[in-house]
Amino acid sequence: MKYAARCTLIALCCAAGNIAAQEAPPRTSAHVIGIGGANHLDTYLSPLNYTGPQFHYLHESLRPTSLFDGKVSFQSITHVEGSVTKNRPEKADDLGGSLSFDAAWHYHLLTDRPLEGFRLMLGPQIGGTLGFLYNTRNGNNPAQATAEVHLSASVAALYGFHRWGHRFTLREQLDLPLLGAMFSPAYGQSYYELFSLGHTDHNVRLTTPFNAPSLRSLLTFDFPVRNNTFRIGYLAEIRQSHINHIKRHSYTHAVLIGWVRHFTLLPHRQAMSRGCVF
Amino acid sequence: MNHLLRHALQGTTLLLFTVCAACVQEPQLADTPENNLEALWRIIDEHYCFLSYKKQAIGLDWDEVHTRYRARLNEKMSSTQLFEVLAEMLSELRDGHVNLYAAHDVARNWSWYEDYPTNFSQELQDAYLGTDYRIASGVKYRILPDNIGYLAVSTFQSSIGEGNLSEVLHYLRTCDGLIVDVRNNGGGDLTMAERLAQRFTNEKLHVGFICHKTGTGHDAFSEPEAEYLEPADGVRWQKQAIVLTNRQCYSATNTFVRDVRECPNVTVLGDQTGGGSGLPFSSELPNGWSVRFSACPMFDKEMCHIEFGIAPDTLVLLTDEDKARGHDTLIETARKIIAKNEKKELPGKNRSRELRGKE
Repeated sequence: MKYAARCTLIALCCAAGNIAAQEAPPRTSAHVIGIGGANHLDTYLSPLNYTGPQFHYLHESLRPTSLFDGKVSFQSITHVEGSVTKNRPEKADDLGGSLSFDAAWHYHLLTDRPLEGFRLMLGPQIGGTLGFLYNTRNGNNPAQATAEVHLSASVAALYGFHRWGHRFTLREQLDLPLLGAMFSPAYGQSYYELFSLGHTDHNVRLTTPFNAPSLRSLLTFDFPVRNNTFRIGYLAEIRQSHINHIKRHSYTHAVLIGWVRHFTLLPHRQAMSRGCVF
Repeated sequence: MNHLLRHALQGTTLLLFTVCAACVQEPQLADTPENNLEALWRIIDEHYCFLSYKKQAIGLDWDEVHTRYRARLNEKMSSTQLFEVLAEMLSELRDGHVNLYAAHDVARNWSWYEDYPTNFSQELQDAYLGTDYRIASGVKYRILPDNIGYLAVSTFQSSIGEGNLSEVLHYLRTCDGLIVDVRNNGGGDLTMAERLAQRFTNEKLHVGFICHKTGTGHDAFSEPEAEYLEPADGVRWQKQAIVLTNRQCYSATNTFVRDVRECPNVTVLGDQTGGGSGLPFSSELPNGWSVRFSACPMFDKEMCHIEFGIAPDTLVLLTDEDKARGHDTLIETARKIIAKNEKKELPGKNRSRELRGKE
């Protein structure tokens, strides 16, 4: 009796697993690291540009959804970056770091048009960033904090093709913040007033492309090596703001390299044939 | 759908052009004597918080300063010569919080104490402290022979713990009064100054105002916000206290004196403080020299400027005769006041405020 019950339980689990394996939507996860250059300006700290190397880590997750008959995919990007930059005379350093998260819902347009494997994706993206820029020799204005949330328009063009029995994917994505809010001290406001005395003065401001014109471009190329998929790419990011009479910009670009994993219970090739977004 | 797509792409293209056309930049000037002077002049012109006040108080005309010092430049001048010109230009501000830092020198105007008698002798203070004084977080203290506590706070740059202050005041609790000597204390951390002042009040006191610049204009300031002194949670001094000051009480120490003089049992005795009521910010020039300047002005509770110092409740100067006898006039006067248990006279205090307002 016990043996029969155990067999039944195992059979049910296997059946459930099989159903899950057959119906589970394939998900894509990519881990990417990058190195490049950064150009920072923050007139709260200095009128000089600071340039130097910047390091990046990106995690991207992508999965189909059931929205609009499955024509919408969900993408999340977590981006960590750190930089050590110097002013032009190389007499002072800025240490910078930020963590940003973006979630986008892309509607798939022009699937397999104008050529097979091409796909245009368009949709809203919401996200936010927390970060800092620390000047190593300033006194009462040693650092600038970054805290912002935004609603962006996200456009991506994908081209997937097969060569030598393997699938390759080329993707370019543009994220353009349209509306948001960000923290900024007032023009000459000290952090002593803000955090020790608790005095606020228009420290959360609305952002638009007119006072904070920003853009992120992500170009990636996914290619297989045996049963693994690797990714190389190029990240270019423009973050700017001119708020409370404080000018800030962060221009970054980086070469990326990483690996892509397709999380599914199906074998890799089968998952690819079932229509992974990448 | 194609119609919608066309509009979406057109909109995206337009926004891309907006982003590309709207670069947020600051002119990156070449490292020339002219550019460095222009950059320095502009930093002060747009960020320094006392230009209007000093125009009124000492006749400072920042535009005229530009013309005068611009004429002293030439393309062949050395870095050292340029530093001298820029240092002299900054010196016009008469502000101890204004400095220019180069690898070879620091430009400063310390006339706020160099032009006055010190009213302080380290030898005399050492003699009063003796060798068996106590030290807590850099604060030296002892009980003088006539049962008066003596506390020498020479800086606010190092951290003074709440526990340290409670221990110090607990040790001195049996004294008839307390002398807090902040002479030659050039300032440091405002939080430390406030932490010490909080030991002398049992209730929340309005002590002053602070504001900041909201734009590049000389008079573009935020609405002044009131500053309050909250009583400390630990041991608080309940008897008479006399704070000794001289011209070298600057910056955070100036703020300490502003705060503590509002406390009911505290009398400020000595010379006027040095001032320095602008919270300093930093910036830099095209050649990499760092510049420090006052950015956020602080006021007393009547909204009077305290940039050029705070007059004491009781003016007492160190005399040569006392010094020759090994007596510190300020300490001895404070001891007599405590012995007589004389409270400070409020009318005198108000009078000193009026005098200060005319500076």
